[in-house]
Amino acid sequence: MNEILFSNEVIVYLLSETIIYGLLFLSFIVSLGILKSWNYENFNQKQFILENRSYLVESILFFTLILKVFLLPYFVYTIDNLSLLIPGAMCGAGVIEANSYGNPLLILKMIILFLSGLWFSINRLDLQKKSYPYLTIKLWLFVAIFFLLSIEYSLDIAYFTHIATETPVTCCSVLFSQVGGANGLPLGLTLAKLVWLFYLVYILLMLSIFLEKILLSVFTSALFAFIAYYAVVYFFGTYVYQLPTHNCPFCMLQSYYYYVGYLIWGLLFFSVYLIFNYGVMSYFFKTNFQKNKAMILSLLTAFVFVCSAYVILYYVRNGVFL
Amino acid sequence: MNVITIENMHKIYHENSTEEFEVLKNINLVVKKNEMVIVSGVSGSGKSTLLSLVAALEKPSSGKIIVLEELVSKLPDIHASKYRAKHIGIIFQNFNLLESLSVETNVMAPLIHSGLTFSQIEEKVQYSMKLASIEHKATQEIRLLSGGEKQRCAIARALVHNPELILCDEPTANLDKENTLKFISLLETLQELGKTIVIATHDPLFDTLTCVSRVIKMENGRIL
Amino acid sequence: MLNNAFLHFLTRMLYHQKNKHIGAILISILVIFLLSAVLFLSTSLQTRVQKTLKGQSDFTISRIQAGNSISIPYHWVDKVGALNGIESVVPRVHGRYFFTPKGKSFLIVGVDFFDEQNNKLLKSIVGTLDLKVFLKQDSMLVGSGVSTFLKQHYFKNTFTFKTPNGTFKEVHIAKVLSSKSNLFTNDMIVMPMHLAQEIFGMMENEITDITFNVPNDAEWDTVIEKIYLMFYDVRVVDKREIQKAYESLYNYKGGLFLVLFLVVIFTFILILYQRYSMVYSTERKEIGILRAIGWSINDILKLKFYENIMIVFVSFFWGVVLAYGYVFFLDAPFLSSIFLGEANLKNHVHFLPVIPFGLLGSIFLFYAVPFLAAVLIPAWKIAVTPPKEAML
Repeated sequence: MNEILFSNEVIVYLLSETIIYGLLFLSFIVSLGILKSWNYENFNQKQFILENRSYLVESILFFTLILKVFLLPYFVYTIDNLSLLIPGAMCGAGVIEANSYGNPLLILKMIILFLSGLWFSINRLDLQKKSYPYLTIKLWLFVAIFFLLSIEYSLDIAYFTHIATETPVTCCSVLFSQVGGANGLPLGLTLAKLVWLFYLVYILLMLSIFLEKILLSVFTSALFAFIAYYAVVYFFGTYVYQLPTHNCPFCMLQSYYYYVGYLIWGLLFFSVYLIFNYGVMSYFFKTNFQKNKAMILSLLTAFVFVCSAYVILYYVRNGVFL
Repeated sequence: MNVITIENMHKIYHENSTEEFEVLKNINLVVKKNEMVIVSGVSGSGKSTLLSLVAALEKPSSGKIIVLEELVSKLPDIHASKYRAKHIGIIFQNFNLLESLSVETNVMAPLIHSGLTFSQIEEKVQYSMKLASIEHKATQEIRLLSGGEKQRCAIARALVHNPELILCDEPTANLDKENTLKFISLLETLQELGKTIVIATHDPLFDTLTCVSRVIKMENGRIL
Repeated sequence: MLNNAFLHFLTRMLYHQKNKHIGAILISILVIFLLSAVLFLSTSLQTRVQKTLKGQSDFTISRIQAGNSISIPYHWVDKVGALNGIESVVPRVHGRYFFTPKGKSFLIVGVDFFDEQNNKLLKSIVGTLDLKVFLKQDSMLVGSGVSTFLKQHYFKNTFTFKTPNGTFKEVHIAKVLSSKSNLFTNDMIVMPMHLAQEIFGMMENEITDITFNVPNDAEWDTVIEKIYLMFYDVRVVDKREIQKAYESLYNYKGGLFLVLFLVVIFTFILILYQRYSMVYSTERKEIGILRAIGWSINDILKLKFYENIMIVFVSFFWGVVLAYGYVFFLDAPFLSSIFLGEANLKNHVHFLPVIPFGLLGSIFLFYAVPFLAAVLIPAWKIAVTPPKEAML
């Protein structure tokens, strides 16, 4: 455990998380104070102070969210580096599986980013109006996010303090393998069906966004994220690694593959986030996201393009598919 | 058209404490477009506070303030700032310029967040400095200017965004006779340009000007 | 949003208020300099060590009694060589010779100069020798640290070893090893095996350990098992273990430093918080003026944020550049002795620039996060001051 905690990246990461959590805790206390006494109709000094304090919450959240957006890839980079210290691990996949905290931690981080982004959309809307109509909603949302953040921070500590450097972990080639009859694909799909489904759901998603069918877009995007994850790991990834048996979501984040993993996962994550955000804001807050439509459509297409490009280039160079 | 409408407005400092002090009591006031209104009274009569409330720099304890059809008495900061940046030009008693920066940069300051391009802003800055006759000192730092020059810079800054309403708080308190007369002449020009002007001052010189629409006397926080 | 006018205004303000920020910038540069220098050093060393380890033989067998190393009979070499899958079995004689008057020691490596060397480093050393001249008399190759030490003690061309048998052995210094390999060879002496045996009082058929290679990775574990079955008192160390140990060591040293540095960082945060609370209070009037002429609280916060980001980037840039020069051009005086250990002979190592991009990211985060966190609350405090109050 000591070697892990003395790794440079882990120290930097945990320091950043601690500072962020400290600031967010302060924000949490301030938010509770605001929620208790907020009354927009009041003309007194107390109300004025509360309005000022809401700016503190906003500033802290702005700073910490920006940081968290950088810390997520940094976290992935950290665990990738840790693979040098842990026997059996060739990339981050093995390190994440080193204990039971890894995967929930990673998923929780993504959920927090989604919800924090939503917070900012609501905040922007709230500030556009003249009577802070959504202040209580956004502060309660922050309280909920803070609850998740507390779990995240505890998981961070638990995860890094429970990585054994003596016990070998399974490498991605075993974790994600399809050899020996093991099928990592969901719902009993074959690879061909998965790829077809990938492109079909992509088209459906593009259409639903273009036609501004909100609920359909949100549900389709969740489905697309699910399918896309498996498609990238079991199909497109093999073209990145140029090896039909190399199925791994983490290896493509390494310098050997020009860090393309960050691009692929980043595009997918960001486009799904925007759809989620657009869905919630349109449905509950009746906002119109015309201008975001173009961005969402281009990001989705960019993601599909990058994935497909590897396949096409491979075929062009070698005349066959894997 | 009413530019300013104030109804039953009270302002109390340090409410619910031993230092509680009602600085403005039951103010009712209407200012029409293109008027030049003088708010006169001794120090402590509440003139400056009245102006800062109209500018949404402070919020009243009760009552309504409507300026250019906007209810400014309860605006959140973002909207209050936008409102000031768009509609109000303020000239302070102590000029309140950014001493370490140049005249140009000071005059530019209200337009930084207006959404205009740099060249558009420069154009407006040049025009405003010309109007206030300070363009020859554009690159000079404020702390090297004389009192009259600082005043003109403050005027240029107050006019750069072409506000409909101009508020002046004791504008001639730190000026000599010559600069005071220059200032008055500028005010007359502004009135001709269609601006509405409210001046808080205890300088008796203003009471007798022909361009002045009316004089409002204040005492102990009340309008007499 | 971030238009030219804003940048213009920001740079003007920063320029005219540079004195206020100079203190913070200088401390920041110092903090980053220290941090970067240590991390550059350790990364460079680590890379070098790992590279060199790659050129080592895969396995080393040593014999243990009561936890101490004892000598191995020479005929074991053939026994080991007979195993399947094993190649390039090389016997080694090495140990520490203590120059007792001063307590310093030399690492003596006895080599069969006619044999194929398993170790890349030794290979390159031996490869450059004119063996005929070298083996004419009792000669040795010494590392630069040894050479300097001997010269200081008036040993010019030869050195006389005291053997455990009470006899003296004079050995001629044939050549000084290149300082390029100082990291490993600084206190090293390379000599013919029989000489080393004589100096350590060992018999001709005694060696200290056996090294060998196993080309097929899959067979490593089986080979280790076989060796343990063959001999009951040996220890087999494989290259992977050594690599991991070094990785851990540098990780540990670097990490330990960072942990101690955390104290510096927290002090840094406190100093910044104090300083900027003060600085911003002198800016109260200016902020009040900006608020009065139409800047919102968010606009002020944006101004402060970008101001601080610029300070962060400037400090980061200079801190890293200075550290780079200090480590890779000046060879890190003072700091290198902490990493290399000056307990034995003084070592002068030239460090090769190795800077993975992630390292710069880590340094940036380690500095920027505490910095921005420290100035956030003072910035907010000043942004929300009522303009009227601020202008008084």
